[in-house]
Amino acid sequence: MATLNEKKTCSERMENFRRFVWNPETKLFMGRTLINWVWISLYYLAFYVVMSGLFALSIYSLMRTVNPYEPDYQDQLKSPGVTLRPDVYGDRGLQIYYNVSDNKTWEGLVTTLQTFLTAYTPAAQHLNINCTSDTYFIQDTFDGPNKTKLSCKFTSDMLQNCSGITDPTFGFPEGTPCFIIKMNRIIKFLPGNGTAPRVDCTYVGDESRPLEVDYYPVNGTFNLHYFPYYGKKAQPSYSNPLVAVKFLNITRNVELKIVCKIIGAGITFDNVHDPYEGKTLLKNMCEEQTYLFSRSSVFIFSL
Amino acid sequence: MHEYDAPTPTKPKPKVWKSKMKEQCMNFGLSSARAAEILARDGPNSLTPPKATPEIIKFLKQMVGGFSILLWIGAVFSWISFGIQLAQGSESPFDNLYLGVVLAVVVILTGIFAYYQEAKSTNIMASFSKMIPQQALVIRDAEKKELSADQLVVGDIVEIKGGDRIPADIRLIFAQGCKVDNSSLTGESEPQSRSCDFTHENPLETRNIAFYSTTCVEGTATGIVINTGDRTVIGRIASLASGVGNEKTPIAIEIEHFVYLVAGVAISIGVLFFIISVSMQNKILDSIIFLIGIIVANVPEGLLATVTVSLSLTAKRMAKKNCLVKNLEAVETLGSTSIICSDKTGTLTQNRMTVAHLWFDNQIYSADTSEDQTTQPFDQSSPSWTALSKIVTLCNRAEFRPGQENLPIMKRVVVGDASETALLKFAEVILGDIMDIRARNKKVAEIPFNSTNKFQLSIHETDDPKDKRFLLVMKGAPERILERCSTIMINGKEEPLDSEKAEAFQTAYMELGGMGERVLGFCHLYLPENEFPDTYPFDTDSMNFPTSNLCFVGLLSMIDPPRSTVPDAVSKCRSAGIKVIMVTGDHPITAKAIAKSVGIISATSETVEDIAKRLNIPVEQVNRREATAAVVNGMELKDMSLQQLDEILCNHSEIVFARTSPQQKLIIVEGCQRQGAVVAVTGDGVNDSPALKKADIGIAMGIAGSDAAKNAADMVLLDDNFASIVTGVEEGRLIFDNLKKTIAYTLTKNIAELCPFLIYIIASIPMPIGTITILFIDLGTDIIPSVALAYEKAESDIMNRRPRNKRKDRLVNQQLAVYSYLQIGIMQAVGAFVTYFTVYAEQGFLPSTLLGVRVDWENNAINDFEDSYGQQWTKYQRMYLQWTGYTAFFVSITIQQVADLIIRKTRRNSIFQQGLFRNKVIWVGIFSQIGIALILTYGLGHVTALNFTPLRFQYWFVAVPFAILIWVYDEVRKLFIRRYPGSWWDKNMYY
Repeated sequence: MATLNEKKTCSERMENFRRFVWNPETKLFMGRTLINWVWISLYYLAFYVVMSGLFALSIYSLMRTVNPYEPDYQDQLKSPGVTLRPDVYGDRGLQIYYNVSDNKTWEGLVTTLQTFLTAYTPAAQHLNINCTSDTYFIQDTFDGPNKTKLSCKFTSDMLQNCSGITDPTFGFPEGTPCFIIKMNRIIKFLPGNGTAPRVDCTYVGDESRPLEVDYYPVNGTFNLHYFPYYGKKAQPSYSNPLVAVKFLNITRNVELKIVCKIIGAGITFDNVHDPYEGKTLLKNMCEEQTYLFSRSSVFIFSL
Repeated sequence: MHEYDAPTPTKPKPKVWKSKMKEQCMNFGLSSARAAEILARDGPNSLTPPKATPEIIKFLKQMVGGFSILLWIGAVFSWISFGIQLAQGSESPFDNLYLGVVLAVVVILTGIFAYYQEAKSTNIMASFSKMIPQQALVIRDAEKKELSADQLVVGDIVEIKGGDRIPADIRLIFAQGCKVDNSSLTGESEPQSRSCDFTHENPLETRNIAFYSTTCVEGTATGIVINTGDRTVIGRIASLASGVGNEKTPIAIEIEHFVYLVAGVAISIGVLFFIISVSMQNKILDSIIFLIGIIVANVPEGLLATVTVSLSLTAKRMAKKNCLVKNLEAVETLGSTSIICSDKTGTLTQNRMTVAHLWFDNQIYSADTSEDQTTQPFDQSSPSWTALSKIVTLCNRAEFRPGQENLPIMKRVVVGDASETALLKFAEVILGDIMDIRARNKKVAEIPFNSTNKFQLSIHETDDPKDKRFLLVMKGAPERILERCSTIMINGKEEPLDSEKAEAFQTAYMELGGMGERVLGFCHLYLPENEFPDTYPFDTDSMNFPTSNLCFVGLLSMIDPPRSTVPDAVSKCRSAGIKVIMVTGDHPITAKAIAKSVGIISATSETVEDIAKRLNIPVEQVNRREATAAVVNGMELKDMSLQQLDEILCNHSEIVFARTSPQQKLIIVEGCQRQGAVVAVTGDGVNDSPALKKADIGIAMGIAGSDAAKNAADMVLLDDNFASIVTGVEEGRLIFDNLKKTIAYTLTKNIAELCPFLIYIIASIPMPIGTITILFIDLGTDIIPSVALAYEKAESDIMNRRPRNKRKDRLVNQQLAVYSYLQIGIMQAVGAFVTYFTVYAEQGFLPSTLLGVRVDWENNAINDFEDSYGQQWTKYQRMYLQWTGYTAFFVSITIQQVADLIIRKTRRNSIFQQGLFRNKVIWVGIFSQIGIALILTYGLGHVTALNFTPLRFQYWFVAVPFAILIWVYDEVRKLFIRRYPGSWWDKNMYY
């Protein structure tokens, strides 16, 4: 074994490597003759073509078996998630703070809301029908054009004071900001068991402390005629119903933790792992410049 | 050359050593003060233990060896990114902390495992130090003192008696009937007498030196200490043995090669994708996480432990077949052995004299020499045999120890020397109760054998009550016996011994002698009744009875016969391409005879001397290339240059080294190793330990071997039988094949584990498999199946192929890596990805949606992530789906590893030829694999940290078609390999 253990010098190694790359005596290129390289490459080419073909075939047959209207399983979507606009996330979730007197700190938030609501202008909603019934809008047939189902209209004016129409700044400069709450879409999900689910915002950890809020539409309910959702293919123009929350009396310069839950049968908000299932948690701070130097004050809205 | 110089014996100078002075010295000895001075100068009389590596260093070495360093890097990176994320106040930094901890635990556990294995192997020096005598009787200050032997100094006078161990190298100044057993030093088992006479220049040969650590068998002696501690002969051997570096075993080299290969692949792919990832503007931190994932996916964490377990399983199996393996890696070394240097006595032979041939009535008869003879087949009807048997029975002083009647004759213990024992057992087998026959033929006089007469004689009454004559029987060196005879018995009749008959005797004697056998002649004489009446006073000193003109009866020849299993084992070696070289201290003729009878020298091959004899030309004129066999005398070897030795080793396929000194064994071993051979050496004496250490695999004899030999060896033959080595070779070759299978099995899934990371970076899909999940495959589901492959039977007769060429036949060769990585591995990856896409599609994310979503998918701020159906997902819902994907990917790999396990059962034969159910352990492996996967998925599916989720049952079957494809593809591969040997396919697809 002594021979195997001999330490080779660097130049010997280089020489050996060069010999490996091209050996002029045996005409081997990296240990094979050129023709051998061609053969092996062709073999692998064929092999990978076949494997790609098999993969494509598998995916093709998978696509053939899946239902285009709804997924086979909704194992993870037992209860809808809830999101909030404007959605500014810090390291630990939704964190919104701004300085009342400094419009630069809240202009972005307002823009977010305005942009978000452009999907709810009458023009954007013109494909949807007006619904008046307060029950589930169950459609077993495709009544819409091009084999689709109908969707109910939700326009921003339903949010009244928080619609951005009457108050384009959504109450931010006044310290009574509007937030918009949206429930995630889940196909064929029927929330509330016949009763319209509603939004309920409280301080975190201190449920008894009253939080003065206005909900729009009234009572902060999601009307049942927006449910169930039949999927993107069946309801291409569906838009989520919204609830706007206007905080009327927020202590300034204090970080607040607020949670907004959606109350309704079938909506759970006690999953310890998921902070956004059935609820949305918000830290909010309204900062107010009262002195020459700025002092931080925070509203934290947990929705 | 490792020939060491023994201390030069000083010739006792009679003039100086006048008896008076001698007496004085003997009576006074050294003064205590002087002794203390010398002790301070020379140090204690003990062997210096080798500098032992501290245990902690050994332990730490295990922690950084192999793949450990890669995993440490992974762990450190994990902690660094944990630290950074923690400092940034990120939401879930603990994943990385856990990952780092898991990696560290993996390294530490495998390190502890390896350390434990190494700690079991013993240290050679330990046995040397065990041999140190505890006490010595020393004369100091004119007083006899009992001293601890390590206090002895040069010049001390020590007294020894029978049963003592010699406390240092001493020169005897007084001896009475002293005999020493030098077997631990020279291998000679006969006790040698010691006296004050200087008889030889060579210290090992001279009579007046006794060596440290040998034993005084009988008698008493007084001597002067001439060497102590490490300067003694044994001390030099000890330092020589520890000086012979522990060579890396072939399997260690193979594993190192494999580690380099895999680590190279891991690092280069890791770094490549780190760069790609960074240039794709991922965060450095994320890229580091990819890097860790790639390393973890590439490193077969469980493999080294699996290899160790497989080797120890084989070691256990070998122990059952009488090969006790001390050094686990030696298991495989034995399999790659290409030359075995074997002792003769005890290993190839039975280590007992046995009657092999008889000559009477002018005819040679062969006797049965097997280990368990119960009858002798030769013609016993001749009256000459009756006469001969009587001499054999009566002219014999050997006796069975009483109380062994139930043992087979061959196993009984006999009091008497080797040839008499042989004759006694031989007679007992044929005639029955010898002691009874002797009792009936009462012995009246006896002259025991001595070296001047060279005969043994006894006179008996006969058991025939009518025959009142005395019978004189004699045996001895044939020529001496013949001299004393005037007649010869032919077919029971006495005939005059004429020159023709004497010629016949000569021919027979030469023939038997030429077979390397020890020949004895037998004669008798019925003393005439009138001259020697009942009361005749026989006197053995004056020899008042005839000792000439006797009647010659016959010859018996004895040999230490080969073990009956050896010829078969040697021919197995031959067909396995292993060269067997006999190295013995015996006479060349005996050595050659035994070599011929066991097949080490085959029937047709000739030595140079044989050719010279046949062609009737001088030895010098013979073309040495024509002779396939060679018998080399130790004396010739002494004068040979290394080139000449190499030439002999190279040119002759059948070699016997006779009359070799123990030190020459080392030279022979080194010569063989220069030829690039993997050399196995057998040995039993202390003096063999350098050769045993130097050999790639040293094999010590379990019964006859000394402790030092056993300690220097890698393997101990419990039954001292050469044939056991061959079964060991078979096991060694099998484990090499099976390790190949294990490694191929283990490497395959690395691609299926690696691809997710690559696709994740390139196609930006959600992560298909987590790093911790990969560890669960490598160290969970895959461990038992890969060990199970060690139980696989050989595919064909592995003893019909040549030993592997250690430079070319690598454990992990290019074909193996390429076939596992680029073919089967890719199939597994495809199968696993199909499962992954199926799970996501059926939950709402069609494959087209998944491409490129990674950044949004992993964004904590997006809690209304839209799937292909317009449904919206929070981050946690997506994460949970991702873990379901991990589980599905994990399950698919496991399912396909079952197919991989089945195909790895064979490399060439069809699975159906090999039998699906012959190796039951494979099924244990398969069930354990699936069982562990079920437990992880459904049992631990709710433990979030492990990232397993209870998977819908049908997803277990998505990869099944791919598993079947793997099996079918591999069957086709093997079919073509069998059908077209030597073809392009065979060269590229056979690993």
